[in-house]
Order: sequence, then structure tokens, then C-alpha cells
Amino acid sequence: MTWISQSVTGLGLLFLAHACYSAHEHSVLHSTSAASVSSIASQGIDTSTIASLPLDISIETVAAVFTVCLGLVLGTPGLRPIQWRVWAGKIEREGEKGFMNGDGTLDKDYIGNPFKVLESRPGFVDIRKQRKEFAEWVREGDSAATIPKN
Amino acid sequence: MSSSLLHPPSHLSPAVALELSQSAPAVLRNVPSTNGTYSISSLWTAAETPELWITYEHLMLSCLRTGDEESAHLCLKRLTQRFGDDNTRLMALRGLFQEAVAKDDAALKQVLDEYESILTDDPSNIPVAKRRIALLQSLNKPTEAITALTKLVDASPTDAEAWAELSDLYVSQGMYPQGIFALEEVLLITANAWNMHARLGEVLYMAATANDSGSEKYLAESFRRFCRSIELCDDYLRGYYGLKLATDRLIETAPQASRPSKGDTGLPPPEIETVKRLNEVATAKLSEIVRKSAGGEAGWQGYDEAEVIAAKELLNRDAANITR
Repeated sequence: MTWISQSVTGLGLLFLAHACYSAHEHSVLHSTSAASVSSIASQGIDTSTIASLPLDISIETVAAVFTVCLGLVLGTPGLRPIQWRVWAGKIEREGEKGFMNGDGTLDKDYIGNPFKVLESRPGFVDIRKQRKEFAEWVREGDSAATIPKN
Repeated sequence: MSSSLLHPPSHLSPAVALELSQSAPAVLRNVPSTNGTYSISSLWTAAETPELWITYEHLMLSCLRTGDEESAHLCLKRLTQRFGDDNTRLMALRGLFQEAVAKDDAALKQVLDEYESILTDDPSNIPVAKRRIALLQSLNKPTEAITALTKLVDASPTDAEAWAELSDLYVSQGMYPQGIFALEEVLLITANAWNMHARLGEVLYMAATANDSGSEKYLAESFRRFCRSIELCDDYLRGYYGLKLATDRLIETAPQASRPSKGDTGLPPPEIETVKRLNEVATAKLSEIVRKSAGGEAGWQGYDEAEVIAAKELLNRDAANITR
């Protein structure tokens, strides 16, 4: 999806640049011709003819702007859920994987279930129990690792 | 991995904790240690972020858990350098460190005495008060812990963490009405916490299975709490599991259920038709979750493996009942 949006944006920018260049060329050509005309006729310059651009340049500019907009809109990341239950369900269902950025890193403001602290309760952590559990886990892991070898 | 250092580490699996603590020396080497000193170099070094200090705190907890006391001490030292000795949170962390390295009960008793002397100097030191309660619990003195905790919630009634801890303590002592009350207080503070709704449903269910008097009322209430947790969170495995258990039991006990007497002011018991339909919904949803999670479908991999297995067993038991 990204390459489509990027190529559309690039195409739009290209058209926009072309339109600008055309407008610039047109105004240069027009002013030199108008200057030569005015030097001959010594009359006041008709400003409206200088300001008006040919229709094709105007159309190209507008079309280019819309193409760029389309490309940028296509390239936006997926919208975040704004309903509580949808958002909460996404956390439960997808876990960390649901909140990855495009480059595979975890979103910076992802905190998982914010109410999980009410069950893990870091302020009341029983560190001795955790140490014991960890030591048991290591022992189990050791025995599980050695069993297949025997 | 640095992102999960920003999360409280106590619910992480041992494997993740080990990984975190093994990364500790590298993290400690890489992150700056002299942040916060007012030197001329602070003009061009990166500004310190709150995340850095959260990282230190969580790294220290993980290291203590895995027994890497050296790194834990280094974390503590840097935190003390930054925030000073008399920071309340650091006092609690230092106590935690001493608890973890304590060799025997005498050393723990000494830590407890230290907590008490800190609290007599400054009774409003909440982190240390919490540590003292946790240590009392760890020393197997639940009655004293409950007394201390009721004093703490009296002093700061908006502390959801303390209420939740109190509820767990009461439930561990079999005092369900008190535990339910404490959980209801938690829900007054955090009304949208779907896991706490499910937890209250579980405690109510336990209360309903434990005693006979008023078990119908507890069961109906538990059923409503599980419904609320599902309302707050789509595809919530724990909520659907509880809903299925509660509705199964409600259907079983329904024939004996008597109409409520006139004096009963509580909500009427749920309609049996509604209960049956919700039971079907819960069964369907649970089997969907189990199927998709076991099938490795994208976007369904966030569930806890043990929970999925438990749900599968519940469904299998149900199927066995039908075929019999």
C-alpha cells in the first residue's frame, strides 16, 4: 500500500512542479511580449491579461493538488479505535502485535492494559516470593533441558 | 526490548525477566549515569526523560527477581544520586532491595523495624507503608497486614491499588463480603477497568460456591459483572469464561430458585431465558476465540496461552456432558 501512495504523491508533485514551471514560463513570455507591445504603443498595460493564465495550466495545478492529497490520504496509517470496548478488545486480542509501527517496533505510547497494575500491584510486590518462584522456574528449566538428553 | 522496560515487570514471565536482567549490564553501560548534575555539558547532551528513571526502577526489580544483585545495586545507586536519600519512593525501593537480599527472618525483622521507624517519623510516606504491608504479608501475618491496609485506605481512600490489594487479602482469608466491598471501591475509582469487573465477578462466583446462604444473589451479581466486563472489552476471554461458568450454574440452580420476597430490595434475579441465551453466546464466543487463537490467525495472538487452554477444557467438559 505504501508504494502506491508514494508513487501517487510523487506523480502529483511532478505535475505540480510542471504546472508551476509552465506558469512561470507563460508569465515571462507574456511580460516580454507585453513590454514590447507597450514600448510600441506606449499605452497602459492591461493587467487582466497578465494575470490570467491559460486554462490548461490552471486545470493541471488543481489536478496536481488533488493527486497529492489523494496520495497522502492513501498513505496514512490505520486509524486507532476510538470506542472503549473496541480499543480494549484490540489490546486483549492482539496484544503487542496490534500496536506495532510500520517498521516493526512497538508503538512508544503502548502500555497494554492500563488497569493491569491493579492486579500486578507494583507497590505491594512480594520480592522474596518472586525470587523463589524464579529460582524454581530455573530449576525446572534445567531439569526439562536435561531430560531429553538422557 | 527496551520498551518493555517501561512496563511494571511483576507480571512478566520468568523468561522475559531473565532476558531483561541479562540485558542489564549493557543497558547500564549505555544509558548516561551523570544526568541531572548541573554541569556545562548538560547544555549539549540529550535532555533526561522520565522514561530513563522508570527504566532504572524496572530494571532493578527484574534484576532483584533474577538474583543479579550487583546490577540492582547499581540501579539503586544511580537513582539515589539523582533523587536523593529522602525521596519516599526511593526509601521504598531501598527497603525492597534489603528485603530481597535478606538472608534470614532476623534480617527481615530488622527491615520491618526500619519501615516502622520511618513511618513513625513520617506517617504519610505511602510507598514505605505499602512496603511494610507487603513484608507483613510475606512474613505470613495477614491479620496485621489487613489492619495496616485498612488504616492506609482510611488515609487515602482513592488509592485503587491499595483497595485491590486489600480485596485480595480478604479473599485469601475467605472473607468474601469484605473482599467484594473492597473491589467495589476499586470500581468506584476506575469504573472502566474491564479486568477488575471480571475479577469482581470471579470473587462473587467464589463467594457463591463457598457458602449456601445468599449464593443465588452472589451468582446473579457475578453474572452481571461478567456481562459488564464484556461490554467494556470486545472478545474478552476472561469475561466470557466467567460468563459461561456463571450461566451454567444459574441454569443448574434455576428450578429451585424461588421468587424474591417482598422485602428484597436488590435487583430481581435474571430471566432464565436471558441466561440461556447468554450461555449460548458465551459458548459460541469461547469456541471462536479458542479456534482462532489455536489456528494462529493474525490478530488473535494476544491471549494468554494458559487461558486459552483453560477455555478449551471448559468447552470439552461441556461437550462431554452433552454426549453422555
